[in-house]
Amino acid sequence: MTSAVGRVGTLAVPAQRVGKLHREGRAAYLFLSPALLFFCVFLILPFLFAIVLAFSDWGGFDLGTLRWAGAANFGDVLSLDGTFVKPILVNTLLFAFGSVFLATFGSVLVAYCIDRLAFQGFWRVLYFLPVVATVVAIGNVWKMMYQPAGLINGVLNKLGVNSVGFLSDASYALPSVTVVHAWASIGGAVLILTAGLKAIPSQYYEAAEVDGAGSWHLFWSITLPLLRPALLFVLITQFIGGLQSFALIIVMTGDGGPVNATNVAAFEMYQRAFKYGAWGTASAMAMVLFVIILAITLLQLWIARRRGEETS
Amino acid sequence: MRMAKCLRLAVVLGLLATGAACGGGGSGSSDGKVELTLLSHYSDGPSKEGLDKMIQQWNNENPNVQVKAQVVKFDDLLTTMTVRQTGGRGADIVSAYGLWGGQLMKANVVAKVPDEIATKIKAEYSPAALGAVTTGDTLLGYPTELNTYVLFYNKKILAAAGISKPPATWAELADAARKTVKRDAKGNIQVEGLSLIQDGDNKSVHPFLSLLDAAGGTFLGPDGTPRFDNAEGKAALKFESELAAAKATNPSIMPTKQFRSGGVAMAIQAGWWIGSLKTQMKDKYASDVGVAAIPGPAAGSKGSLAYGFFMGVNQRSKHADEAWKFLTWMNEHKASDGKVTETGKWLADQGLIPPRTADQAEYKKSLSDPNLAPIYDAATYAMAEPNQPGAYEAKTALHNSIMGVLANGKNPDEALTQAAKAVKPQ
Repeated sequence: MTSAVGRVGTLAVPAQRVGKLHREGRAAYLFLSPALLFFCVFLILPFLFAIVLAFSDWGGFDLGTLRWAGAANFGDVLSLDGTFVKPILVNTLLFAFGSVFLATFGSVLVAYCIDRLAFQGFWRVLYFLPVVATVVAIGNVWKMMYQPAGLINGVLNKLGVNSVGFLSDASYALPSVTVVHAWASIGGAVLILTAGLKAIPSQYYEAAEVDGAGSWHLFWSITLPLLRPALLFVLITQFIGGLQSFALIIVMTGDGGPVNATNVAAFEMYQRAFKYGAWGTASAMAMVLFVIILAITLLQLWIARRRGEETS
Repeated sequence: MRMAKCLRLAVVLGLLATGAACGGGGSGSSDGKVELTLLSHYSDGPSKEGLDKMIQQWNNENPNVQVKAQVVKFDDLLTTMTVRQTGGRGADIVSAYGLWGGQLMKANVVAKVPDEIATKIKAEYSPAALGAVTTGDTLLGYPTELNTYVLFYNKKILAAAGISKPPATWAELADAARKTVKRDAKGNIQVEGLSLIQDGDNKSVHPFLSLLDAAGGTFLGPDGTPRFDNAEGKAALKFESELAAAKATNPSIMPTKQFRSGGVAMAIQAGWWIGSLKTQMKDKYASDVGVAAIPGPAAGSKGSLAYGFFMGVNQRSKHADEAWKFLTWMNEHKASDGKVTETGKWLADQGLIPPRTADQAEYKKSLSDPNLAPIYDAATYAMAEPNQPGAYEAKTALHNSIMGVLANGKNPDEALTQAAKAVKPQ
C-alpha cells in the first residue's frame, strides 16, 4: 500500500516541477561546492593520508621514501613497554577528565550564581576573558605564579607551608596544568550554561516554591535536569578539547616534563612527526586518539539518549 | 550519478590544489642568474653578522650566483625545514644540527657530498667534527659549529671549601660537590655542588654522555643499538644518582642563570658558555671561573662529548653545483690575516672551536683565555654525538630516564634498562 501510494505520488508530480527540483538541486550543489572542496582538501584528504601514513614508515619530506609497514606502528604505539599507553595516554585521559570535571563543576556553579546576581553581563564578560586571551599569555602568567618564588608559593610560605614545585615535581605537574586548563575553559561553558538557565521557564520555580521547595531542591530537581542539553554540549566539546589539547602544556612545561609527567598524546604526536621524523608512528597515535575521542563522544551521546535527551 | 561526478570533481580539484602547494620553489631567474637560498639558525648577533658578511662578499664577486640567507631561531629550525621541504620550498643549502643528520639523510633531504669535496673535508677537519656530522659512512656536509663539554668551576667556592685544584677523578669530583653544596635551614639549596643539567634541548644527556665517555663507554652502536646499558653506563648514572641523593646536585637549578651569581660551584657544560660567562660576569670572569677536563672514574681518565652543525646541499636543489661551489668557497677562503679561514675566524669570534684542523692549531697557538685550552683539547678525545636515524628519539628516551633518577630517585640500573628498551634502531 505504502509503495503504491509512493508510486502514485511520484507519478503525480508534474514534469515541470521535477525539472525545477533538479535545477534547485544543481544550484544547491553549486553553492555547497566551495565548502565541499574545502572539506575535501583540508579534512578528508589529510585524514585519508594520515590513515595511509599510520600503516607506513615515512621520515617526511619525500613521498618516494614511504614504505608499507603494516600494523607495526600500532604495535609500537600500543606496546606496554613503550611510553604511549603509560604514561602518555593515561596523562591525556587524566588531563581531559580532570579539566572537564573541574570546568563543568565550576561553570555550573558560576553560571547558577551569575543567574542570581545583578549586572549579569559584567560577570559573564569577566569569566569569558580567559577564553579571549591566548593560551600563551595564560600559560605564561600561570607559569610565573607557579614558580618557587611566585605568587602561589608566596601565599603558601606566609601560611607556613614550604614551597611546592608545581611544575618541576612530577607528582604535581599534571594536576597543576589541568587546573589552568579547566580555569581557562570555564568562560565558554558559563556562556552556554547561562543561556541554558535563561531558557528554563520561571513558572516551574514558582510552582515548586509554592509547594515549599528549598534552594537545593530547586537546583537538583528543576535546574539540573532542564540544563542537561546545555550540559551535554559543554561536556562533549570540553572532552574533545581536553583530549586534543597540548598548546598549554608546551607553554607551561616546554617538553611535557618533568619525566613525561605532563606529556599528552597530541604533544607526543607533534614531537614524533616534526622532531623525530617518525610520521608513521605519529599518524598511528593520531588514529588511536581519534578512536578514543569517537568512543567517548558516542558514549556520552548514548548515555544522554538513554536519559531521554534530544541530541540531534 | 551527478553527486558522484561532483565528488570526483572535488577530489581532482583537491589534488590539484595540493599539488600546487607542493610545487617546487624556483630558484633560477629568466636572466640566467641563479639565486641560492641558505636556511640557518644564525639569526642574530655576531653569528648573523659574520655569515652575512661572507655572503655579501660572495655575491659581490659572483654576480651570476647570488646567495640569499633565510634565518630562523634554532628552536624553529627543524620544524621550518620540515614544513618547507614537504611543501616543495626547501632551501638550496641547509644548516642543520648533526643529531638530525640521520633522519635528514633517511628522508632524502641532504644530498651526497661530491667525492672530491668529501675527500678534502675528511682530510682537513678534526675527527670530532667529522664524527658529529657523519652518519654511518656518509658525510652530510661541511662541518660548521663544533662544541665540546668540559668542567666549569668557581675558583673561589672551591678554595673556600679547601680545594686548591680542580677534581681529577670521580671520587674527587663527588667530594668537591659535597663540600661545596650549601643549604638553608629549610633544606633549600643556596649553592649547588655540581650541576648535571642545563637549559635547552640537551638537558641532562650531554653531561651524562661526557661522564660515560670518561668511563670508556659509548651511547649508540653504528646501527643505532643502545650501548649505554652496560657497566660503564650504570657506573656513570650511579655516580649522578649518588650526588642527587646527597642533594649535591639538583635538576631545578639552572647553571646558565645561577653560576654567574655564585649559586653553582661546578657545572658540566659546553664550551660556548665561555662567551656568555664573560659577558655576564665581566671582571669576575677572570678571577672566579676555571675550566678543566671532565674527569673519569680513575686518575688520568677524562671524557667529553662533541656535537656539531653542518651545512649541506638540498637533494631537491636545482643548482647543486653552484651550492657546493659557494660552500667550498665559504669554508676555504682565508681571512684577511691569511692564517685562518674566514669561516674559522667567524666561528672562533663567537667562542666556538673551528672544526678545520689547521684553524684549530692556529688558534691554539695563541689562546687569549687559558680556559679555552681544555675546550680545544677535548676536541681531540671527545665522543662524537651519534646522529643515525632514531638518535634524536634515543636521546629523549635517555633524558627521561636520567631525569627519573635525578628528580624522582629512580634506580639507575632500571632507568637505563628502560631507556635501552625505548631505543629503536632504524
